[in-house]
Amino acid sequence: MVEGPSAPFDRPAVDRRPEDDGRSHGVGQILAVGSRPAGSSRIVLEGPPRTGEPTLRWRSRARSIDEIEQELARIWSEPNLTTMVEGEPGRHIAARTSVMNLVVIARQPEIAERCAATIQQLTGRHPSRTIICSPADPDGPSWLDAAIQAHCVLPREDAPETCAELIYLTVGGESGRHLDAVVAPLLIHDLPVTVWWPGDPNLATESGRDLLRMADRLIVDGSTWSEDGLRRLGDLAGLLDDARLAISDFALVRQYRWREAIAAIFDMREFLPYLRSLRRIAVAYATHDATGATGSTNLVKPVYHVAWLASRLGLRVERPLAPVPGTAKPARGAARPMSRGLAAILRDGRHEVGVVVRPVQSPMPAGTTLRVELLAERRGSELRADVTAVQESVHVGVWLDGVEEFDRTFRAPRWSDVDLLAQSIEAGGRDPITVEALALAADLVGRGPAGERRGPPAEEAERGAEP
Amino acid sequence: MTTETRPPGTRPLPDAVPAAPGEGLPGTSSEPQGEPDLPKHPAPRPKDAPRTMRELRLAREGRRRAAPRATDNPLREGLRLERVPDPAVLVLFGATGDLAHRKVVPALYQLWRTNLLPHEFVLVGIGRREYSDESYRAEMRASMEKHARVQPIDEEAWQSFTERMCYERLDFTDSAGFDALAHRLDAFDRERGTRGNRLFYLATQPSAFGEIVTQLGRVGLDHERHDGGWRRIVIEKPFGHDLESAIRLNREVGKVFRERQVYRIDHYLGKETVRNLLVFRFGNGIFEPIWNRRHIDHVQITVAEAIGVEGRGSFYEETGASRDFLQNHLLQLMSLVAMEPPATFEAEALRDEKVKVIRAVAEPRGSEVRRTVVRGQYGPGWVAARDVLGYRQEPEVDPSSETETYVAARLMVDDWRWSGVPFYLRTGKRLPKRATEIAIQFKEVPHRLFRDSASEPDPNLLAIRIQPDEGIMLRFGAKIPGLGIDVRSVTMDFTYGSAFAVDSPDAYETLILDALLGDASLFTRADEVEEAWGIVDPIISAWADAAPPDFPNYEAGSWGPEEADQLIERDGRRWRRI
Repeated sequence: MVEGPSAPFDRPAVDRRPEDDGRSHGVGQILAVGSRPAGSSRIVLEGPPRTGEPTLRWRSRARSIDEIEQELARIWSEPNLTTMVEGEPGRHIAARTSVMNLVVIARQPEIAERCAATIQQLTGRHPSRTIICSPADPDGPSWLDAAIQAHCVLPREDAPETCAELIYLTVGGESGRHLDAVVAPLLIHDLPVTVWWPGDPNLATESGRDLLRMADRLIVDGSTWSEDGLRRLGDLAGLLDDARLAISDFALVRQYRWREAIAAIFDMREFLPYLRSLRRIAVAYATHDATGATGSTNLVKPVYHVAWLASRLGLRVERPLAPVPGTAKPARGAARPMSRGLAAILRDGRHEVGVVVRPVQSPMPAGTTLRVELLAERRGSELRADVTAVQESVHVGVWLDGVEEFDRTFRAPRWSDVDLLAQSIEAGGRDPITVEALALAADLVGRGPAGERRGPPAEEAERGAEP
Repeated sequence: MTTETRPPGTRPLPDAVPAAPGEGLPGTSSEPQGEPDLPKHPAPRPKDAPRTMRELRLAREGRRRAAPRATDNPLREGLRLERVPDPAVLVLFGATGDLAHRKVVPALYQLWRTNLLPHEFVLVGIGRREYSDESYRAEMRASMEKHARVQPIDEEAWQSFTERMCYERLDFTDSAGFDALAHRLDAFDRERGTRGNRLFYLATQPSAFGEIVTQLGRVGLDHERHDGGWRRIVIEKPFGHDLESAIRLNREVGKVFRERQVYRIDHYLGKETVRNLLVFRFGNGIFEPIWNRRHIDHVQITVAEAIGVEGRGSFYEETGASRDFLQNHLLQLMSLVAMEPPATFEAEALRDEKVKVIRAVAEPRGSEVRRTVVRGQYGPGWVAARDVLGYRQEPEVDPSSETETYVAARLMVDDWRWSGVPFYLRTGKRLPKRATEIAIQFKEVPHRLFRDSASEPDPNLLAIRIQPDEGIMLRFGAKIPGLGIDVRSVTMDFTYGSAFAVDSPDAYETLILDALLGDASLFTRADEVEEAWGIVDPIISAWADAAPPDFPNYEAGSWGPEEADQLIERDGRRWRRI
């Protein structure tokens, strides 16, 4: 395989810098990825590609926004590409397609690589102009380096390839603090803008807000946020005031199988009335910290379980999550016992619904939900539901007055990042379920509009309670 | 107050229990009802009514939804697409037949593979032939190689699917056999947790429908249980042979099952593009305002098949194109094109609107049939570079058969929206290619501005391709680049395969899943069936009273008889070349 200019249509390189490493190539050189037959000046693209599998077709390099625009235009006006059709070289036909602009803010190169790999899996399903931005060297001079690629997918054997552009942007110096100014000129106009912000997003900063002002959808993964993630959860809920912005959190989307299983309990008519008589919601989550101290483990997923249930049932937060009192101070030299977790009170009219979110030391990834328990009381009768999940399924058990009434396993595999991204992209507009769950989650951790009136958020309260 | 009797040991249904004070759901009132003499007080505010400005603003923005009904599960909101059906046994009558091999079992396997069937699921194949569970599974496995939509077969998924598959030999007239079946189904409830939910799927010859339904009723397999076990029955077309037999069949089924338990499959309604038609019409703002007699000149609906009777000569001799396609697929497609927007996207609302269209179709009678309906039968010819027999030479076909393999009709929908807009429907076998399409032909511009244009542009056309290459095409005029003003027709083309690059589910996957979920939106209701026969019956009667047709009157591989062209050309229009 070779990479090279597809002469004679290539223009001379406009700016070839000596610092280019061996892997890369000069600015302004469009490289088709394929092979060059002996004696031919043309690149024959690798062909024919396998249906449904993305293939890197072109790549180029640029060092300014203008150059990026020029390179993008040249990629699609490049007429001199051939592919093997039934053993004979023929003109390669590809259609550039974009249904949206996808902007990824990746603070580390490995995150950028992972996101790019995920997006490429969706090239055929959701072709988009993807701009992956990585700020670098914030204290140095401003600079920009862009790798421009076109990835193509053959949807069917008899259809033309569908191609989408991927622009890796590394932005140094002051420019890295104004990503909105870098991204804006590269957006295809009239197409929706989705900002995928993996890792720890700076949602509350001025630059973060500037970037989100141009976005129609924000995608985050709350389960990867550092510390307990609750501060960012509040920041995320703060964005709900912008009615234009739709929000998807992988942490919430990922819980679909739990929601399906919990909802299935109350699809049964005899259990449905208990839903309005809920008295307790308990969520156990995995921690690697032997003390389970608040702040040591991301709590976004367990909080979302409670928030989704509460928002669907119209419950209000009476008292936000705070450490369960009663953890005795350990004797000098003794190991600190496992935290009893956090507790909150929700209210359903006259009834209180207790909430407990408690850590359990487990080899599972920290923050993973291990169990959701529901307790409902109605006319002297008690319903207890217990939901657990494993790799490919979710298990539900229901006991009525201690007698097992329901025992069901749902086949429901975990979603990969590709599935989660596809789900998030496919959701049209603001999803009211997400909006309500997120608003309630913020209230629950004392960071929503209601919580601001109520006092300090959970981790601060615990810090105050600690010995 | 009525007294409810229920079996001992069962719990009362929740909606039969009066709510305790303060226990009502948001938006429901526990105040006494129907007492007009009570002093008038302001109505109590529902529990979830907005209390603060923020809540009021959120409510206005639509973030707060209307209070659910007492029978709704509020946790279901937003989960519809992911919902897995209840645990259930699917009892497949005709399990050794062609439909089971080609469509039903492959669809079930695909649903299982994609986790859309419940873990507690059992498929009981019923047939007259002698099979063991193992030999039936083996036969289905072989069939899957040919008919599964996604190849290769996922062995792990197939293995777990077949663990839930078994076979029962049963003669449909054998009462003892049905008793045994009822016991076996009860055993599945205990052993496999299927909770009394049953879907009976009749993939048999229509002549067996009545017998099976009667037997199911006799052994009580139609009875929905108070503790939640539902019973549904899926019936494959044809739904009767004429209006009288359709009414008879509906009565036979109705004696045992309630209408809401009956799911009549017209698989065309499960096709992705047909379902998209509803989205296209009612999910877009720009089409509905022009979807009427003021803007639409006429509508053409074509269901063309390149195949012949494919070894089903004896079946087709009794059926013909009008019963096989016109009465169901074509009229169903027409009703979806012509229906008014339903108030909600619920089964009854949708079906109410569809049936109104069929009722509004002016039934062609007597001599009018000659002017508005054309029938045809193919003779020998060439299709897809293959020399093919004429219909009368096909196996099991009467050499002097008068059965029509082609029918074209001009129907009028007498309502406010469509008055004066003809719907041209045509279907036939051994046409040049397989194609199903709905074409909406718009009226010409009222004034020709570009008189000097070299070619007159065609009026706008919207073509909805149902198969193959599912998609939508819009034709409009565009200026040819150059110094003059020459206008040419160009198209904007949307193709499902390219736009989404994901496979659409097979219609049977959609419909079987809907039946398991209890969603009857895409199934045909009894009154729709009878109204449709009310249109087709007079046509068949008129043909029976007429002189023998001059068959064959079109060559295999052509687009039908000349009379069909004349039918539309009399109105100054032409069939689309597809």
